[in-house]
Amino acid sequence: MTEAILQVQDLHKSYGKTEAVRGISFDILPGEIFSLLGPNGAGKTTTISMLSCLLAPTKGDALIDGHSIRNGAAQVKGVIGVVPQEIALYPDISARENLHFWGRMYGMGGGALRKRAEELLDIVGLADRTKDKVETFSGGMKRRLNIAVGLLHQPKILYMDEPTVGIDPQSRRRILDTVIELNRGGLTVLYTTHYMEEAAELSSRIGIVDHGELIALGSQAELTHLVGESDTLQISLEADGYDSAKLLDAVQKVKGVQRATLEDGQLLVQAQGAHAALGEIVARINKAGARLLDLKVDEPNLEAVFLHLTGRALRD
Amino acid sequence: MKALYIAWKDTQRRFSDWKALAGMLAAPLLISALIGLAFGNLTSGETPITDIALAVVNHDEGELGQVYTDVLHSDDLAELLAPEEMDDLEAALQRIRDGELRAVVYIPHGFSEALFDGVQGSDFGSHAEVQVHTDPAANISPFIVRSIVEQVSNGLSSALLAGQVSALQAAEYADLLQERMAGLGEAIAAQLSQENFDTRTSRLSLNVVQTGESGPAFDPYSFFVPGMAVFFLMFSVFDGSRSILQENTRGTLPRLMTTPTPHSQIILGKMLGTFLTGLLQFALLVLASSLLFGVAWGSSPAGVALIMVLTVFAASGLGALLTSAARNENQAGIIVSAVSLTFGALGGSFFPASNLSGIVDLASRLTINRWAMEGFTKLTIGRAGFNDILPEAGILAAIGLITFVLAVIGFQRRFVR
Repeated sequence: MTEAILQVQDLHKSYGKTEAVRGISFDILPGEIFSLLGPNGAGKTTTISMLSCLLAPTKGDALIDGHSIRNGAAQVKGVIGVVPQEIALYPDISARENLHFWGRMYGMGGGALRKRAEELLDIVGLADRTKDKVETFSGGMKRRLNIAVGLLHQPKILYMDEPTVGIDPQSRRRILDTVIELNRGGLTVLYTTHYMEEAAELSSRIGIVDHGELIALGSQAELTHLVGESDTLQISLEADGYDSAKLLDAVQKVKGVQRATLEDGQLLVQAQGAHAALGEIVARINKAGARLLDLKVDEPNLEAVFLHLTGRALRD
Repeated sequence: MKALYIAWKDTQRRFSDWKALAGMLAAPLLISALIGLAFGNLTSGETPITDIALAVVNHDEGELGQVYTDVLHSDDLAELLAPEEMDDLEAALQRIRDGELRAVVYIPHGFSEALFDGVQGSDFGSHAEVQVHTDPAANISPFIVRSIVEQVSNGLSSALLAGQVSALQAAEYADLLQERMAGLGEAIAAQLSQENFDTRTSRLSLNVVQTGESGPAFDPYSFFVPGMAVFFLMFSVFDGSRSILQENTRGTLPRLMTTPTPHSQIILGKMLGTFLTGLLQFALLVLASSLLFGVAWGSSPAGVALIMVLTVFAASGLGALLTSAARNENQAGIIVSAVSLTFGALGGSFFPASNLSGIVDLASRLTINRWAMEGFTKLTIGRAGFNDILPEAGILAAIGLITFVLAVIGFQRRFVR
């Protein structure tokens, strides 16, 4: 059996009485893309920070390539690459100068560093902007350079903390393709996101995190199996002109409906045989005086899994 | 080694920022130029200050008090000083208050006796005191008078203590070493060699003479350029110290801490970067002021270098300490701006702090600017040598060392988890 490159064992982090991470455990195998999926504030970044040796765990440990984050931080830092959520670059120097500086911080230098920097600039599609200051880059370009810095020293595992936040769809697509390409080359990736589609597309396995706890873990198929044959109805309503509580109550009483949430005019309904229940649900919406704007039926997916497990939508 | 990379990166970033450069280099030079123009002497380098009105109140019955009177009336100082003799100290002080005089030199009763008694006993000069009363509204002229009186006092002290070189020999040396001892030195030597001075017991040391070739000419740039350089150095160095908090906010510091770079090297590199930036800034200001304004930074390049390095060291240390104590970048900005302005005002960047007295003088002595300016003023105006600025250098080094150590501890506690 292949030995895990990362083993997280009952990791806790508390700030006073607040528990940000509450006993998370999981393994990542070499060559995997493992995603931690959860809403903002779920504890994903705190977990990554502990695994990067930036934060000391309150309890528990993690072994990365056999080194403990508690007493082997120097060795751990040599094998991990970190792509933080924020653009952690120097805006007033060029892309190349940034890579050279960060390379030196990883103990690289000379021709090897120069060669690696050019190689990475090519990989992330910035070969024609090497001399330009980072402050002149678009958000997507900065994100790509942010990734390149994490790859400089050819880490055994790359942590990517919400790398697509705040960028346009085209740049997002490019970043996802880059991650897939890197993984094809053998790179192990720990990816955090609150975008269900990213986790679904990229990951071999997904851990769903909520309120500092890992509430589900498995492949996408294994996770969606948790919700059985339920479909999810996504119904957009006009935001006002009706009693939300009464409408929600009425929808929840429809035969086959398992869960329903209503927030800001977005009605999410999880139901066995959603198509069959659809007519009755629409009728009750009309009866409540709400105006229906849009309606979509989703097959079982990670959003449904999250709704199923937490009773809440996976949103910001 | 990684600390050097971090330091160099910070220095490069700072010097490629045109806004920062304007504050670091252009502003101090511009303000110095404006002040220089206000003194009406942009290029000649000759003294713009003449006929400083002062009174000598000599109540000493002996010969030594007369030495001060004679030196202040000497031909060498005729253009610079307009001295008059008065008997009533209170009346003289009133004339300062009325704005008629810039300074009063007061030699009290028994001054000579106290000095000679001291030589024969063990507590030389302990009761002998010359008082220089100055006009607090005046900036430069009191400083010049004080400087001259200090040199005469040093001459007397050395002469009475050394017992090596007679007054006559001193006069001969003054001739031999004309380039170094011209002007005021000759005037002092001449007075001390007269028959009223007992050459069997009294001696004149060569270190009496610290004036330049052309006497005590005063160049306003020699005061204001160092003043502005120190003032703006504090701003830029303090601002540079904040960069560690900026990096923390912008994510580059946490990212640095995920690399296999020891935290101590990261902190050291950040502080070294601030130091290096400040040092380059000051060195460029010295160079530019020499070329643009003809500022003579004194006869001791090593002394200038020492005071410069230690001023930057102390400022970097204090900046780092203040930053390490601040809650966030904005708070640090407010603190360092307030400290920079206060230090500038108290520490003598705008006027000679030697005019201060009481608690304000005490507060002034707690500032980096004060010791830096004392050192630079000794070198540029007093034409002092390397050894003369060692006390100021020592104090600056101590400030730098203490604040650096405390800052490192503060940053370690703050950022190392």
